[in-house]
Amino acid sequence: METVRAFLRHPSGMIGLVLLLIVVVVAIIAPIMFPVSPWEMVGAPFTPPGEDGLWLGGDTLGRDVAAGVAYGARVSLLIGIASALAAMAIGVVVGAISGYFGGKVDLVLMRMTELFQTIPAFVLAILLVATFNPSLLTIILTIGAVSWPPLARLTRAEFLRLRHREFVEAAQCQGERTWRIVLGHILPNAISPILVVTSLTVATAILLESALSFMGLGDPNLMSWGFMIGAGRTVIRNAWWMSVFPGLAILVTVLAINLFGEGLSDVLNPRVSRRRS
Amino acid sequence: MSESVQANAPVLAVDRLSIALPKGGDRPLAVENVSFEIKPNEVVCLVGESGSGKSMIAHAVLQLLPRGVDVVSGAVTVAGQDPSKLDGRGLRNLRGGNAAMIFQEPLSSLNPLKRVGKQIEEMILAHQRPTPSMAEVRERVQTLLTQVGLPNPLLLEKSYPFELSGGQRQRVMIAIAMANRPALLIADEPTTALDVTTQRQILRLIDDLRRERGMGVLLITHDFGVVADVADRVVVLRHGKVVEQGTASEVLRNPQAAYTRELIDAVPKARLADIHDTIVRPEPLLEVVGLQKTFRVKRGWLQPPREVVAAEGISLTLHEGETLAVVGESGSGKSTLGRMIMRLTEPDAGAIRFGGADLRLLRGEALRQARRRLQIVFQDPFASLDPRQKVGDAIARGPMAYGTSRAEAMAQARKLLARVGLSETAADRYPHEFSGGQRQRICIARALALKPRVLIADEAVSALDISVQAQVLALLAELRQEMRLAMIFITHDLRIAAEIADRVIVLQKGRIVEEGTTAEVFTAPRQAYTRDLLDAIPGRDFFDQPGFAAAAGARQTARIDSGIDAV
Repeated sequence: METVRAFLRHPSGMIGLVLLLIVVVVAIIAPIMFPVSPWEMVGAPFTPPGEDGLWLGGDTLGRDVAAGVAYGARVSLLIGIASALAAMAIGVVVGAISGYFGGKVDLVLMRMTELFQTIPAFVLAILLVATFNPSLLTIILTIGAVSWPPLARLTRAEFLRLRHREFVEAAQCQGERTWRIVLGHILPNAISPILVVTSLTVATAILLESALSFMGLGDPNLMSWGFMIGAGRTVIRNAWWMSVFPGLAILVTVLAINLFGEGLSDVLNPRVSRRRS
Repeated sequence: MSESVQANAPVLAVDRLSIALPKGGDRPLAVENVSFEIKPNEVVCLVGESGSGKSMIAHAVLQLLPRGVDVVSGAVTVAGQDPSKLDGRGLRNLRGGNAAMIFQEPLSSLNPLKRVGKQIEEMILAHQRPTPSMAEVRERVQTLLTQVGLPNPLLLEKSYPFELSGGQRQRVMIAIAMANRPALLIADEPTTALDVTTQRQILRLIDDLRRERGMGVLLITHDFGVVADVADRVVVLRHGKVVEQGTASEVLRNPQAAYTRELIDAVPKARLADIHDTIVRPEPLLEVVGLQKTFRVKRGWLQPPREVVAAEGISLTLHEGETLAVVGESGSGKSTLGRMIMRLTEPDAGAIRFGGADLRLLRGEALRQARRRLQIVFQDPFASLDPRQKVGDAIARGPMAYGTSRAEAMAQARKLLARVGLSETAADRYPHEFSGGQRQRICIARALALKPRVLIADEAVSALDISVQAQVLALLAELRQEMRLAMIFITHDLRIAAEIADRVIVLQKGRIVEEGTTAEVFTAPRQAYTRDLLDAIPGRDFFDQPGFAAAAGARQTARIDSGIDAV
């Protein structure tokens, strides 16, 4: 409750939250705003914004750009959140095991993490999506698989910090079982920074998905911002609106998530929030 | 110390000073109407428990108060100047020039990335005008390092703070403070983080420098032992108000305020007479044989690892109902010993026999079962409770882990909370709502929830205020009687060891140097090292005077009987 109230008083965090809510609302009401599928050709090709009832214009095949942007919000948010959660699941498990048990387990897991970190995430993502057929599920799993290393490192650092705190040792001396110590004592005390980084991972996941779609590696059945930019890219000099509006959508969404994440970080970090109050 | 009767102008005059806390604090004024003076060559001790506002006063003198905390009335005069009226330059000249300050934790007051010589140089260069030549500055640094009693100044100048011991660091801090011959030295709990022998050396050093240079010293402390050793005059603070002030001997011998008397009585004293005789059974409850532990710290690629011996062939026995104190300086391996017995630190060799098994050979479930009857109370009551767990849960978790039902465990937790002097409703609250003393009571309740036979107290009262310390010790003594607990009491404070223990083990660098009953060790120490430790007890001369201990002991017992709920 305290945290929620502190967040409501956080200026840039609130801006982020409001922008994010707008994107979410657009994503939810997209089918009501645009009952016709975004793939449907509803106007003449190259309709400029504002003409023929297409207020963001039409694309090279006469599809409604506004409908594409609205439906793209659903895809971006879904993929962003789902793959960030996938990354968190992998990262927290790897980091927790590594940090709690230490020793050889830690050594092996951390070398593996480094292996993932040394391969450029985007190249690996392209490779994985190209190998498996691009679909919603494979894209989510791929983005999750390339985004977990920072979360694993963070979780490990938090676990190392808390592992030898006296309250953890006290729990150990009280005979509590390992899983209870990890889930009941260490994780709750480590969760704030993990949540913050996960929220920021949503933003990078959205960017990754856009980039994949731009390269033509998105789910072919889903209208996505990256795909729209990719399709409009060749005609940007005479039809700017085809790539600029989806681009702005990406910008606003990623910015909103970053502002939200930073606000969350300030509020959950007791030292900063105390300074503010 | 000598009474200074010079009619010199005071180096520090605090006149009806009041400092306001921000709204929502536990009281409106941190400091209320406090007045005192320090003359040249005089040591004034500001005594009080945590939260009494003593550090606030020191910070107000140098205009170091945190934002939101302001002086609302009264005036401070340092060597004829009012710091609140100085501009930036004037204030910089005052700080470290005429008035210098040293803090409690010497490691965090030194810049970890700079060699200590440079840090002293910096202080000289910032204040001396015209700027002296580098050769002069170097020479001055050397002199200062020699004056504060540091060995091999040429080598030491080039060290980084982390390479020095706590005592050496505090000496460096003092050298920095002394660099510009201040008229006033403010020392905020300068020895609280140090062990007894180092504490004595540092206090003596401050005292020598004071006499040599005729400085005024404002020494902030919570320990009346320290007061008895060095103070000329004493100001006793409680809740931001002066309770009593006067010369040290007046206040110590004939305290006027009841609170002052309480503080003096709370100084733990050897009460060797009333040690109850334990029925020594042939079969010890816990037996430690030849415990061995060496910590290896990797240093670099080519350097060999640094080895620290924490235990070298430590053997001890503990019988039912007996209290064994383990004493020694920091780094003597006393905490490691406790942790090894709990199997929180893995010993290299040796055996820990408890309940018919060697704990060292147990793994997994067997270890979990054996640990049940062996519990520990840690030093820092703030770090040893999970901030996100309710107090009741913290206590009930242990029994629940061994199969007690939740309802039963919670009922038992409430009873235990009542037993350690807290209300039963405490079970539904979070640790941050409690004071240090109350938290330590919670930790004791948590340890007792498993009905242990051996309780290890690792510096369990060291982080507490001295009067709270006395209450927690009394509680432990009662519980020991009631539950026939055997206790291993690890402490650096020999006064506490003498008060609570039946037997004492003295550790030095991981070895037992002396072992015996408390009376033997305290009255007829066989080793020079033990004698040094005993001599270093602050206020020993004063508190050991004939007649004093007996009277104080009687008063103390009476007070503890009525005082448990007051923590």
